[in-house]
Amino acid sequence: MLSRLREPWTDGQAERRLGAVACLVLLIIVLMVVFVAVRAWPSLHANGFVSWLGPGGNVDVQLGEMIKTGQHPPDSAYHLRAWPLVYGTLLTTGVSVIIGLTFALFSAIFIVEFAPARVRSVVVPAVRLLAAVPSVVYGLIGILVLVPAVGNHLISPGRKESVQNVVQLDGTGVLVAIVVLTVMITPIMVAIITDALRAIPTAWTEGASALGANRWEAMWTVSVRAARPAIVAAAVLACARALGEAVALSMVSGSRGFSPNPLDGLTYIFEPIRPLAASMVENVDAMNAPAVRSSIYAFALLLLLSSLVLSIGGYFAKLPMRRQGLRV
Amino acid sequence: MSVASASAPAPAPTAPRPAPRGDRLSSWRWRHRLAFLACWACGIAVCAITAAIVIYMGVRGVQYLNLDLLLHRPQAGLAQSTTGGILDPIAGTVMLTIIGIAIATPLAVVAAVWLVEYGRPAPLARAVESGIEVVAGTPDIVIAIFGLAIFQLPLFAPLSFTASGGGVFGRSFLAAGAMMSLIALPLVFGATREGLLALPTHLREASWALGKTRICTIRTVLLPQVRRQIATGSALGMGRIVGDTAVVVVLLGATLQIEPQGNVPVLSTLRGTGSTLTTYVYGNSPAGEGNAPQKAYAAAFVLLLIVLALNAAVDFIGRRGKGSS
Amino acid sequence: MTRSRRLTAAVAATAVAAVAVPSAASAASTITISGATGSAPLVALLAKKYVKLKPGKVRFKLAQGGGEVGIQDAAAGRVTIGNAARDPRPSDPAGLVFYPIAKDFFCFDVNPANKLPNLSLDQAQAIWTGQVRNWEDIPGSTVTGTIDLIGRTSASSLPPLVQQLLLGNKTISPLVSLKPSDGLVEQSVASNRNAIGFNSGYYASQKDVRAVPFEGVACNLQNAKSGQYPGVRNYYEVTRGRAKGAASAFINWIQHSKAARKIIASIAIPLN
Repeated sequence: MLSRLREPWTDGQAERRLGAVACLVLLIIVLMVVFVAVRAWPSLHANGFVSWLGPGGNVDVQLGEMIKTGQHPPDSAYHLRAWPLVYGTLLTTGVSVIIGLTFALFSAIFIVEFAPARVRSVVVPAVRLLAAVPSVVYGLIGILVLVPAVGNHLISPGRKESVQNVVQLDGTGVLVAIVVLTVMITPIMVAIITDALRAIPTAWTEGASALGANRWEAMWTVSVRAARPAIVAAAVLACARALGEAVALSMVSGSRGFSPNPLDGLTYIFEPIRPLAASMVENVDAMNAPAVRSSIYAFALLLLLSSLVLSIGGYFAKLPMRRQGLRV
Repeated sequence: MSVASASAPAPAPTAPRPAPRGDRLSSWRWRHRLAFLACWACGIAVCAITAAIVIYMGVRGVQYLNLDLLLHRPQAGLAQSTTGGILDPIAGTVMLTIIGIAIATPLAVVAAVWLVEYGRPAPLARAVESGIEVVAGTPDIVIAIFGLAIFQLPLFAPLSFTASGGGVFGRSFLAAGAMMSLIALPLVFGATREGLLALPTHLREASWALGKTRICTIRTVLLPQVRRQIATGSALGMGRIVGDTAVVVVLLGATLQIEPQGNVPVLSTLRGTGSTLTTYVYGNSPAGEGNAPQKAYAAAFVLLLIVLALNAAVDFIGRRGKGSS
Repeated sequence: MTRSRRLTAAVAATAVAAVAVPSAASAASTITISGATGSAPLVALLAKKYVKLKPGKVRFKLAQGGGEVGIQDAAAGRVTIGNAARDPRPSDPAGLVFYPIAKDFFCFDVNPANKLPNLSLDQAQAIWTGQVRNWEDIPGSTVTGTIDLIGRTSASSLPPLVQQLLLGNKTISPLVSLKPSDGLVEQSVASNRNAIGFNSGYYASQKDVRAVPFEGVACNLQNAKSGQYPGVRNYYEVTRGRAKGAASAFINWIQHSKAARKIIASIAIPLN
């Protein structure tokens, strides 16, 4: 059979065989989603889909109660209102992606256009290295350097006392979580956008220069505009990564299912939160209890569905660019 | 014009296009000068952050980094002096990365090629694309739990081992490697797809006009052109694999040393359990039990060095084919 | 045959042989253990000694993965013995037998800048239930400001034990900052002057935190052994049904032999 594979393939054969491999990949992914959905069903069913996402009570206490239930818990044991976790996820992911995208775009333009060759030979490996640092190391640097710096120097005792009966401000919280997450997702975006900017035919930018544009204008109005599909793809990939980041965030985000109140002013950025993925990793030890297991799988299902929505959103964002002749 | 632009796609990574004569910074608008400064600031910031991370881990761990640490196997112990070295975690990291990327790259490249070059029927293509982006957004802990449930089925018993109680252990290098490939897949897929989309259509049309079949065009004309993008994707994927903790903690069996299973030389190690540098760092640093923090930082430093080496290797392979341009 | 056909046949033959050939029949039985990382060093030392005493009879495969993993693996028959560092819970699978092998102790710890000499039951209750929120209200404390409570997530076995044994069954306040591991609690307390946390004995004896005496009794191995200090927890070996064969012999040896007791006494608290 192997020898038959070595003969030249016809187009029809090639399409079928390649398509089969792609479908295999899709099948594994669908299997995973179905697996998660089946295990999440009890929690979603007991709470109702919409109110599961809503606010109501302290989510930490609710999870703690679930651990005490036995192997066959009643429906009331599944009670959960996950809004604080959802809010924390939206906050960290949204802000990190916005800041990271700006940062990544300027870095990519720097690498492609303005960096002298020697500087470039340092920056490109640096970006690849940043992308490969384990999340544990980011978490460690967060708790060893950033958290004490924020907790001891940026948070004044007065600020701590003003909220001491509601929540503790010890340095872990929104600010450090966003900083760490931004540093984690930026390298991926830099790498993808750099590749896209490099692939723009030089004839296009030379044409812009011939018309009198300076280097920045040529880059911005021609290359970056032409690389918009890649920028969207990079943003979607980075957003997905940010949603799924669990280990580092569980160490620096404060580990409390708390919804920071924007009306608190500057204290808002110091308040603790806990995104969905971090909640999963922290409660994975308690998965013996069926109620906890179902809730964790429900978090996972929510994250998977968000990635799906992101992916579809990215597709629609790239659609108008197709009209301008860019291949998406 | 058409001849000149045939060489235009995928320009070689040499110095940036030199500034046209007369394009001095002093002739730019304020806005543009500010943007120029912002670009430099971001670029330098990236280097500075990387240097800070490497130096910090180095300072904390390098004093513990000696040949002893690299050549001895880890032992269980409470105090730092009794916990041995990191030889097995290093071997574990390298093995797992190779297995993971070896599975991921062919799958991802094939999927990307099919999506860009064929992609029929269109809903199926959209589904594959969205599916892979969903995997990109899955927390690694979910992939780990999924892998555990799958590999503990009796069907996959040959991939790990069956204990005396009749349960399939389900944790081994093969299991962890298979799930790691899922993690690296979206990155290689994305990079390859971007590369293929950036190739101008006249490349393909010229090849078809000469009578080549589509698949031959892909194999001989397109794939060599996207070698660098595949290399970038693989480097990102390897970075993601090397840096992943959850899959290793759940699916590698968490034995301190590499414990082969069975008697066949290579297969027994693949079926066996072990640990990697990330679990070593996780377990011995304050994130875990905190028994040997300095060794954990030294291990993190070694991990960064391994990543640099892997990236250099991938760069070299990706650049080999571009020697002509 | 063509070259590729020969290659396929060779690969297939090797694969079949590799999977079908049973591992060399040895007289030694293998005991697989997985579970808690806290008791892993202790079990590793015990296993090493046991193998030295009975060479060739038993092989050990020691994995970690956490206490819950050990219990689940034991229940499903994936390992022979699971290490557990907590008491049995109602949510555990049925049919498990918990054999206690040793005890460990846990303390309240504060930052070294805080020279608090003692914590009485009332003070501990007031602090941990969130009634008292400032160090100025605790006599003997040398730091001022808000009390930062550092605890463990609900998946850990320590919080219920602390509540039961050191807080007179009062509930820990929801204000507590929940850390997912012992190491992180130690790190948080060490880097924050106003922090107070609870941790197992090994961490509380590290130099970067200070273990606080409880009710006048210092928190150390001696006082825990003598029973004066109330905060102790059990380490268990868990099996599905009663332990049989090699596993039963091993557990028996741990619980009753003098050599095992000596090893346990060096890093934890023996049972008797």
